[in-house]
Amino acid sequence: MAAIFPSEEWLQGLENKLNSDSRYNEIAKNWEGDLLFLIEPDGNLKERLTFYLDLWHGRCRKVEYKPEIANYPTPTFTLTASYKDITSILMGKLNPMTAMMTSKLKVKGSMGYMMRNVPTVLDFVRVAQEVTTEIL
Amino acid sequence: MQPILKIDLTTGKSEEYRIPEQWEKDFLGGASLAARILYSSLTRELDPLSPGAPLLFMTGPMTGTSGPTTGRFVVCGKGPATGLWAESNIGGFWGPELRAAGYDGLWITGKAEEPVYLWLNGDRLEVRPAAHLWGENTYATQEKVRQEIAEKSARVCVIGPAGEKQVLFASIMCDNGRMAGRTGMGAVMGAKNLKAIAVRGVNQIPVYDIAKYKPLRSESNRRLHDDNEAKILREVGTSGVANYAEYLGAMPVKYYSRGSFENIDNISGAKMTETILSARSACQGCVIACGRVVTLNGDKFKRKGPEHETMVGFGANLLNDSLEAIVDLGELCDRYGMDTISTSNTIGLAFRLFEKGIITVKDTDGTVLQWGDVDAIEQLVNLIGRREGIGDLMAQGSRRFAAHFGVEEEAVQVNGLEVAYHDPRGVSGMALSYATSPRGACHNQSDYFFVDWGHTQESLGITYFERQAQAEKAANVAKHQDWRTIFNAVVMCIFANVEPEMQVKLINAASGLDWTVEDMMNAGERAWNLKRAINNRMGLTRANDKLPKALLAPFPDGGSAGFVLDFDAMLSAYYEARGWDLETGRPLRKKLIDLGLYDVTQDLWS
Repeated sequence: MAAIFPSEEWLQGLENKLNSDSRYNEIAKNWEGDLLFLIEPDGNLKERLTFYLDLWHGRCRKVEYKPEIANYPTPTFTLTASYKDITSILMGKLNPMTAMMTSKLKVKGSMGYMMRNVPTVLDFVRVAQEVTTEIL
Repeated sequence: MQPILKIDLTTGKSEEYRIPEQWEKDFLGGASLAARILYSSLTRELDPLSPGAPLLFMTGPMTGTSGPTTGRFVVCGKGPATGLWAESNIGGFWGPELRAAGYDGLWITGKAEEPVYLWLNGDRLEVRPAAHLWGENTYATQEKVRQEIAEKSARVCVIGPAGEKQVLFASIMCDNGRMAGRTGMGAVMGAKNLKAIAVRGVNQIPVYDIAKYKPLRSESNRRLHDDNEAKILREVGTSGVANYAEYLGAMPVKYYSRGSFENIDNISGAKMTETILSARSACQGCVIACGRVVTLNGDKFKRKGPEHETMVGFGANLLNDSLEAIVDLGELCDRYGMDTISTSNTIGLAFRLFEKGIITVKDTDGTVLQWGDVDAIEQLVNLIGRREGIGDLMAQGSRRFAAHFGVEEEAVQVNGLEVAYHDPRGVSGMALSYATSPRGACHNQSDYFFVDWGHTQESLGITYFERQAQAEKAANVAKHQDWRTIFNAVVMCIFANVEPEMQVKLINAASGLDWTVEDMMNAGERAWNLKRAINNRMGLTRANDKLPKALLAPFPDGGSAGFVLDFDAMLSAYYEARGWDLETGRPLRKKLIDLGLYDVTQDLWS
């Protein structure tokens, strides 16, 4: 399922794709951690957007669109980016490693775990890119 | 600028040397200014281990000011293994202490009749006997010198037995584990019978405009502290990138013959953090703290943990997956005072030659060199450090070691400096970094692997090219080298992810210059070309800008399997971008004049 970012349908499509994509299932088989995304407004995004994914052993166990941040006080990673930068990543215009190394994508969580699992991170981005057909 | 203290070890006399003001403006400090100062004395005929060879310890305008990662200094001269320009920068606290003593550099010439050490206490210099310290390891030497001078706060840089015996890749250590590792400056120090330099200073370190500097310093350090790359380095050390490098096929394995190491998880920075890490350490004023302190099982002592190069060099390079053994081997090199890159690389070469039957147990006094055999590796480290048996040959570096057996092409080195552990088959920009670096195969003159991983600097036009793109990234590499030349002038750690606009503001406030970012980049380019000209005068031509055979063959496995560099095309594109003569490899007259290097123009083209 493909969808417009950002939307609840997009997040649902991402969950479905993460669970059905055999390449991701294999690469991420050791990943244990949930992600809370904080997207700062600019351009067409007028207020902060949040979405949440619980990723576990190559599967996506749960997603939530626009959750209360207080409901997820200690996610494994909190990832913060501007709307412009996150959409650039989703459209393949900004290399996700560039985004991370230049701190356009701010990461809160274990950097050691992140660096050990870069293939999983990059494949997660691939799946997200494949799901995204259009940017708001 | 504060003066440089010039010390003649032959006579024991010293004098202050004032740097011409224009040179400060054109070259700033650190390695760039050192190149300007030493330009005329570094000749082709100069034996780098002779009394006439200079050894210049230089700081920069921000050294000791607690600016972002600016607690560093650099040691410069002529490389004994390369016969070319040599510079090796080092962290810790010694550089700041020297500036607090009232000097921005120490310029050592001559040779002491007997082993000595220097004790610079403020503006008082003593030349003290060191025969009783000769043979002591680097750690013990620092302690004993501090005891003798009865000054616990003194900072001491030293050589170990390897420097005394002039192992051509001997290093200089300060602050219990910070190393000027590359290019054999420890051998030059040893050749001068100089065992150590102790420094104590209590003066305020000069900053041109402290009111401007302070808020810039605070803001840049705050940003650096929160930077993702800094977080990685703090949390998992420099070897925290090992998993990613291995995944890309950018980490050489089994002496550059393979691109994949299945046991990488056993030795990476993440593993170290999870198992043996007991603390982190930082150089003066650094908010990153990439240094590792580890405690091994059953061991009460805290030791220095390996950084990335040592981890790969004594790990994947030799098919050793014991993290504890890597800690031991790194520490053993440090105690002898030897560069871990050159040592592990040359040991890898010995294993390769043994595998091919080019050397045998007759050459190794019975030791079988089998990949991954930690005892054999340790034995070779000891033999090199003591210059015994086959270690005496290996102590001359991989190029001469291989040449001794008639197989120079087997050595993975450029111009006599062993290649570091970022493989250009996985991150192609490193092909040009290694081949054109003024000091041999160096990853610090341009750590372009970071750019190939995605770490761009768009405000300087350093953009992203695909990691295995080739000639099209040549101009980008040149620009990155110019920028990193400024880091080596400041002297600033290349791990400091500080925006160029902030960097130039800091430089101006610290030094009184009025640079723009463009001026800063021009100064980087000027110094890069000056170092090139020094090497041209010492005989370097285009023929020297090449890669070893191993790096031009494809990896059989890993994330870069099958990829082959078109190096000639890369080099020609690089020369075009640089404004260098395609045949001789010299900077063209116009380029030198544009950069204001008029005397150099005369020397190269008249």
